Amino acid sequence: MSDLYFAVVCSSNMNRSMEAHAFLVKKGFKVKSFGTGEKVKLPGTSADRPNCYEFGVPYDDIYKDLMEKDKSYYTQNGLLHMLDRNRRIKPSPERFQASNEIFDVIITCEERVYDQVIEWFVSRKSICNQPVHIVNIDIQDNHEEATIGAFLISDMVTKMSQSDDLDNDIDELLHDFEAKCNRPILNSIMFY
Amino acid sequence: MSKPSTNINAEKQLIQWINEAGMSEGGKRAGFLRRIVEVLTHQLSAMIPMYMENVLSFVNDKSTDIRKIVIGFIEELSTNFPYTLPKVISQLQLLVIDTVVAVQKRAIQAAGVIYKNVLTWISKDESVAEMKHVWEHITKTKLQILNMIDSENEGIRTHAIKFLEEVVLLQTANNSSDFSIDNIPNSLTFINHAALEEEAEHIFELLIKFHNSQHISSVNLMACMATLISLAKFRPKYLARVIHALGDLHTTLPPTLSQSQVNSVRKHLKIQLINLVKHTSSNDMIPALMQLLSDIGMTQQEINKAIPKEKRHKRVLALATDSKNGDSPAKRSRLDSPPNSQESDSNSNSRTGFDDDSIQTPKTNLVNEDSLFDGLNNLDNVLNLVMSTLLNNLPNEMPSNFINNYQPIPNAGTKTQIRSLAKMVHSVVKGESEMPLPAPTIVTKIPLLSEDDEKITLKNAVAKLQETTKDLQVENAVSKLMEEKRQEYLKEEERKAKEKEKQVPQLPAIPKLKQKVKLLKLHEITRPIPKEIKERLMLQAVQRILNAEKEAAIGGAAQIRAKFITIFASSYTPEIRDLVLNYVLEDPINRIDLALAWLYEEYAYMQGFNRHPVTLQKVNEKPDQNYNQLLCAMVTQICERGDPLMENSKEVLLRKIYCEAPVITPEALDYLKHLVVEEKSLLALELLEELCTMRPPRAHKYIPALVSQALNEIPEIRDIAIKSTVKIFKNGSDAVKKVIEKHSLLYLGFIALDNPPTELMSSRHNIRVWSDDLYKICLNLVMALFMENDDFIIDVARVYGCAGSEAKRCVLRAIEGPLRAVAASAPGTVPPAFQILLQDCPRGAETLLTRLVHILTDKAPPTPELVSRVRELYATRVSDVRFLIPILNGLSKREILAALPKLVKLNPNVVKEVFNKLLGLHNPNNEILPVTPEELLVALHLIDPNKADLKFIIKATGLCFGEKQIYTQDVVSAVLQRLAEEQDTPVLMMRSVLQALTLYPNLGPLALNILQLLIDREVWTNKVAWEGWVKCCERLGTAVTRVLAALPARALPSLPPHLARLLEPQDVAPTFPPQPVPNPLEPLPPGME
Repeated sequence: MSDLYFAVVCSSNMNRSMEAHAFLVKKGFKVKSFGTGEKVKLPGTSADRPNCYEFGVPYDDIYKDLMEKDKSYYTQNGLLHMLDRNRRIKPSPERFQASNEIFDVIITCEERVYDQVIEWFVSRKSICNQPVHIVNIDIQDNHEEATIGAFLISDMVTKMSQSDDLDNDIDELLHDFEAKCNRPILNSIMFY
Repeated sequence: MSKPSTNINAEKQLIQWINEAGMSEGGKRAGFLRRIVEVLTHQLSAMIPMYMENVLSFVNDKSTDIRKIVIGFIEELSTNFPYTLPKVISQLQLLVIDTVVAVQKRAIQAAGVIYKNVLTWISKDESVAEMKHVWEHITKTKLQILNMIDSENEGIRTHAIKFLEEVVLLQTANNSSDFSIDNIPNSLTFINHAALEEEAEHIFELLIKFHNSQHISSVNLMACMATLISLAKFRPKYLARVIHALGDLHTTLPPTLSQSQVNSVRKHLKIQLINLVKHTSSNDMIPALMQLLSDIGMTQQEINKAIPKEKRHKRVLALATDSKNGDSPAKRSRLDSPPNSQESDSNSNSRTGFDDDSIQTPKTNLVNEDSLFDGLNNLDNVLNLVMSTLLNNLPNEMPSNFINNYQPIPNAGTKTQIRSLAKMVHSVVKGESEMPLPAPTIVTKIPLLSEDDEKITLKNAVAKLQETTKDLQVENAVSKLMEEKRQEYLKEEERKAKEKEKQVPQLPAIPKLKQKVKLLKLHEITRPIPKEIKERLMLQAVQRILNAEKEAAIGGAAQIRAKFITIFASSYTPEIRDLVLNYVLEDPINRIDLALAWLYEEYAYMQGFNRHPVTLQKVNEKPDQNYNQLLCAMVTQICERGDPLMENSKEVLLRKIYCEAPVITPEALDYLKHLVVEEKSLLALELLEELCTMRPPRAHKYIPALVSQALNEIPEIRDIAIKSTVKIFKNGSDAVKKVIEKHSLLYLGFIALDNPPTELMSSRHNIRVWSDDLYKICLNLVMALFMENDDFIIDVARVYGCAGSEAKRCVLRAIEGPLRAVAASAPGTVPPAFQILLQDCPRGAETLLTRLVHILTDKAPPTPELVSRVRELYATRVSDVRFLIPILNGLSKREILAALPKLVKLNPNVVKEVFNKLLGLHNPNNEILPVTPEELLVALHLIDPNKADLKFIIKATGLCFGEKQIYTQDVVSAVLQRLAEEQDTPVLMMRSVLQALTLYPNLGPLALNILQLLIDREVWTNKVAWEGWVKCCERLGTAVTRVLAALPARALPSLPPHLARLLEPQDVAPTFPPQPVPNPLEPLPPGME
């Protein structure tokens, strides 16, 4: 397996990116996960009152906070379970824009997130000229879709890591993958 | 620990690592090397000159990873320890042309950084010789990378683009704080500022060209786009050209991109543009950028949102000027939109070798494309324009580049051409009026690069630029010509397609893919064939394949052909199906294999082994129906065609089809049934049997068809059907057996009905009356199966119980044989089914039971259990004594004697049989008789005359006396003696004595004894006995004198006179000659005849 370094990015680094993160780590990939939003947003008891946290607040704290707020409600909608899963993977949600690591491939889970990632790259000047592939697969932000999305991402990542020369193969690889997974794929290249 | 000692320790460690790295291999070595680099560049930077060679020496290592580490080390050194550059620069040059792509890419990536570091270093350092050395190397490296933009590997291209971005940035003069060529002192002779800047200019053009080339991959397109934008941002002098290039790109995306790649590219373009808009450097170009943004499909609101406030003010100002022209923003954008679609339509021409040098346009920024379009539509305007251009600018000699580049404008004068011309003029006008114009040669050069130039590799383009004058356009003329031809054709095709599309208004934002020489896109140059034509062609194609039977066989493709045909027939239209079917039926004898192959194909579909993906499957397709239809069509059409030549092979064909078809559908089975009734009954029956035996899992489905023929009115068919059924029953599975049993029981049940059921009468007479034959037909099957399953006896008995007397008679007659066969198969035992029946006999079936018992005991003595069962039944259910007859000899003496009175009353024939049994006359088994003949005769005599009429007893005794072999003289004498000993003289005793005497005259003395005995019992008092006594005396003649003498006086009066006479000359009596014996047959008692 090649030693590609992957990042999976969604909005809040909670559901989609973490699901994929968990899945990819299990498969032995080198991976990190991030969110691009301003804040970590989780659904609240009503649509107009989401639970907002800063990036960096540990999953564990969020877990406890929600538990206090309404244990049965958040158990029932699966948030606590998700947070429990997350805190076993890493301590806290991370914001992509704050990361200074250099990845080989960044996978985003939503077009808006993809835009934000590209904008971030565009707004800074590249220093070491190392290219990074940014790929977007649209995944709806719910548990089932996140699971499916993790499978798709895993498929794609597996294919990527099987490639001897990803830079050369990526066009074709994504084209094939798009046909296979039947979802539109966006991709771009940026430089660190 | 103090710092120096730490360093000493670290150095020791470093040396150890260096040694170990030298010794180890692959991954381990890479690990050591990483540590060495880490320590050397951070902790022990002072030692770099001493140890760097140890790291650099790995530049030729086998491992890719290690070479990459070396590159990283060089990069690090160039950044932080530029004084090492003279030592490392040559290594970099090596690594850039490494054989491994990954290493190459890493080297190019590093080269960008190193190039900047070199320039920075040169601007500061002082040792000119070293600088020159480094500069030469880096320049060479730069050229190497420059050439790599044309690499086969997309990744290397990507890296090269990024490197070139760096080069252009560095080699372009800049006022900002950013480092650039400005910062290099002019004193260095080996660095020519102007040349470098020119080179940057060339490279920029190269990038633009690459950016707009048609064979660029989407990733590289985006990379290039980002590079251009970045250049535009940091070096504003490129801004106008970049915007122009992006605008061009938007209308002419490479045709090789897939839809989602197009989406990605457009999104990328949008994000990049928005970013550019926000950047300060773009201030001057805001209107053009806004135009471009709206071109790529952004709404006014989105654009407003994207553009920072302070810039928007400028925009408003610009709009205000526009509105003076009577053009409100809304209107303008509305006007702008539709022509865009046309623009894109004409994009194949937008970059033709158009020399816009020659057109002078009014220098005003109050024009837009539409007004230009209007102007160009005016013939006078155009005429004036051309004339003034020609008058003012026409050179005296034709320039050589014009000869090379000029191409006639194919669609001159059309709307689209005017529109595109207007656009070009507009952009030129805008460019002139809104930005500081770069050197005019350059402005014209970009659009000047004609299609032909794209053939020249970019590398050559660079070389051309560097050599400035030499024209390297040496191309293969022939291939070029061909390319042109093809291109023209493609254009024509495309134009036609576009004209079609034009009727449907399009979103202006959708870019039209420009037709490219090399790239043939099938869907663009072809149009779908109408369905009917397609189907007709298909039909014709299949027809040709069908006709090519001989050719295929000769060519050895017969099998493939067959495969084709089956696939065509099974997976396409009904027409093809019919076609192939007809083909098969034309010559079924030779094409039967094909037909069967097809049948199997259909079967595969039916079973869901589908070779089509789900999307291609027709929703309403019914594969099982197809299979069934095909099978039935083949069978019926083969069978029913009147061709006399076929007659003989029909049977073979039918047999083949039925035997080899993967599955026989109910309809095909029905047809077989139908055939039984028709002339092919024999074949049909055989086939049915074969189906049942050859296809056991489905036999239970086929068997009813066969079984039902057991009721057929034609005896032959019936026989065959029954025989086959029995055969199948013998070997069949449980399911089959069950079906057969069900049917046979059904038919059996018919006989209990009042009238024959319709099944039996369907094709027969209308009068529904039972006849013996009909009964027999119903029974046939069950009787045939009797041997296989004697359990039927229970059912037979049940039905027998409720059947009418006629039916019963038929059953008895029919069952005789099977029963005997069953009994004979296991002599001496009672089959379990019979036992059950004996235990639980249905009402009304007693006669059957009797018959059964008879048969069971016919050949073998009754078993004790049978005897006990019968005895029990006799006691409880069957009062008829005849029931006992079969097991008579199994009964005890007492029982026999008890039954004797009833037995003798039966029909004389039966009585005779009974006695035969009792006396063991037909006794092949030599069984022990429970009653000896002697006892029997005695018993007969002792029967109470009240229980049985004397007449019957006399007949019975007569029978006994008739059996002389058994009732020998000894036996008879014993009987007589026993009778004489009885207390009460039996009524028939004297009669029997007389008979005995008739049979055995030697019994005389015994008779005398009896007479004597009877005298003691005062025989004269019993009238019947006395008569017999007297008769006996008469028979015995003179010998009785002594007996007569013994008569007491009181008996004498009863003595008949002729006997009394014998008494008188008593003393002389012995002298009398013996009286002749009276005729023994004379006065025989009744029953002796």
